[in-house]
Amino acid sequence: MIEFYHVSKQYVKNQFALNDINLSIEKGEFIFLTGSSGAGKTTLLKLIFKEQHPTKGQILIDSVNINLIPNKKLYKLRRSIGIVFQDFKLLSKRTIHENVAIPLIIRGERKSTLDKQVHSALSLVGLTHRRNYIPEHVSGGEQQRVAIARAIVGNPKIIIADEPTGNLDTELSIEILKIFERINSNGITMIIATHDKNLIKIFPKRVIRLEKGRLISDWSKEELL
Amino acid sequence: MNLLKNAIINATKNILRNKLINLLCLGIISFTLLIYGIFTYISTNLNIITKEFSKSIEAIFYFKDNVDIQEIEHLLEKIRQNLLVEHVTFNSKKQAEINFSQQFPELKYILSEFNESPFPSSMEIRFKPEYDLDTKINSILDEIEKMNIIDSKQINLEWAKKIMTIKKFITIVGLFLSSILLFVSIFIIYNVIKLNILYRKDEIHILKLVGATNWYIKFPFIIEGALLGLFGSIMAGIILYGLLKLFPSYANFIFNLIKGVITVEVIPASLFIRLIILGTGIGLFSSLFSTQHFLKN
Ligand SMILES: Nc1ncnc2c1ncn2[C@@H]1O[C@H](COP(=O)(O)OP(=O)(O)O)[C@@H](O)[C@H]1O
Ligand SMILES: [Mg+2]
Repeated sequence: MIEFYHVSKQYVKNQFALNDINLSIEKGEFIFLTGSSGAGKTTLLKLIFKEQHPTKGQILIDSVNINLIPNKKLYKLRRSIGIVFQDFKLLSKRTIHENVAIPLIIRGERKSTLDKQVHSALSLVGLTHRRNYIPEHVSGGEQQRVAIARAIVGNPKIIIADEPTGNLDTELSIEILKIFERINSNGITMIIATHDKNLIKIFPKRVIRLEKGRLISDWSKEELL
Repeated sequence: MNLLKNAIINATKNILRNKLINLLCLGIISFTLLIYGIFTYISTNLNIITKEFSKSIEAIFYFKDNVDIQEIEHLLEKIRQNLLVEHVTFNSKKQAEINFSQQFPELKYILSEFNESPFPSSMEIRFKPEYDLDTKINSILDEIEKMNIIDSKQINLEWAKKIMTIKKFITIVGLFLSSILLFVSIFIIYNVIKLNILYRKDEIHILKLVGATNWYIKFPFIIEGALLGLFGSIMAGIILYGLLKLFPSYANFIFNLIKGVITVEVIPASLFIRLIILGTGIGLFSSLFSTQHFLKN
């Protein structure tokens, strides 16, 4: 479970990237985080995996106040979260297999275990046939799927994806979302930032809308009204 | 185990990727250690020689010709009774001649041209090893020298003292040069590691985001520094060995006088080991320092 209590973030004084956010996400939920560009979606995601720190407020993950996690223990939090970055952040000189394997390599996983897990992650996104390519030599949609495979390979509790369909046409976007649904069906919490309104219509999920750093609507709340 | 293997592989890849910079790095480390090694080598050997010389003080007094044997006997007896003296031996003219012909049999014919032994008679005094030249021994030696039956004297410790002075000078120069070079080495390794860290900034960022520990990220860089130091020191050792092999006379020029008396090792294993420990240590220290600085979180 992820909880935000009065969370604000200011990169610059008097400018709120996030303003007094209160939020609760249950384990296994599938959430769209939406809002126009500059609304604060990326910032909110970065707060969850502690790449940024809130100016005010507390964030709890499974009842642990992540503000209080020391730098030395940060890796534990990061290992429990799979992140799909907007710009993929793949290692350009490593093969797709190696890229997907990174979260396991850093844990010192044995090669046999590693190969098995990488293979199943690549199967999930339908990319086993591309495992020996380097990222440059595959399409944007395929790079996106490599990033997803890398996020899932370490068995995280939460997956965060920032504009995962940003550069893709509708057909490919739907395919990616279907992969996310499949991952979600295993009980993994999904938080997906997107400004694509069509997608939100096609996949009826809980939608959290940000505007100028404020949380202006929450699907579950809307339903209550 | 896997993590260590990965770190070593990554470090080696890094070294191979930036060949030029790492070559520079290796060069400066081995140069530093080479200078240190050469000076240490010289000063260690001078030390050995001085020790050999000064195990105990030996003085040889040569008597004037035609000195009354009674007077000599009297003097010997007096010296023998001195508490500082271990023993004293008398070498007659005849004995000196015999010694010479034993030591240099091929020159024996020269002696036949003399009616009488051409060598002066002498006495050799060995003092007890616990005393050195600065104590009462000096005054005893002076007193003997002033006697009118004495022609000249020869003291081993004067040599030792001269060599000791040279040794001190060489040690100071060596330490001075080595420490300057040491700082240069540390500075260069520090910066080479910094460059590598900056070069891999994006990769490091990704590794952190997927949950690598700080040590996982630092380790390859630290290993890299240590490997640079290790290779640098091995290089220095080989060059030092080569120098001493190629120019044996050069290396031994100071020791020529006593060649055969003291065995001077070409390059002692302990010096080689010291170079390796020092080199690896320098590399380790500099890279640790660099990662502490540039990989804070
Ligand atoms: N590193 C940063 N430094 C300063 N301002 C930032 C930084 N990152 C984001 N911002 C600002 O915070 C606000 C929210 O940005 P962001 O979270 O990226 O929004 P979104 O992802 O919804 O487009 C924007 O006004 C943006 O300019
Ligand atoms: Mg964004």
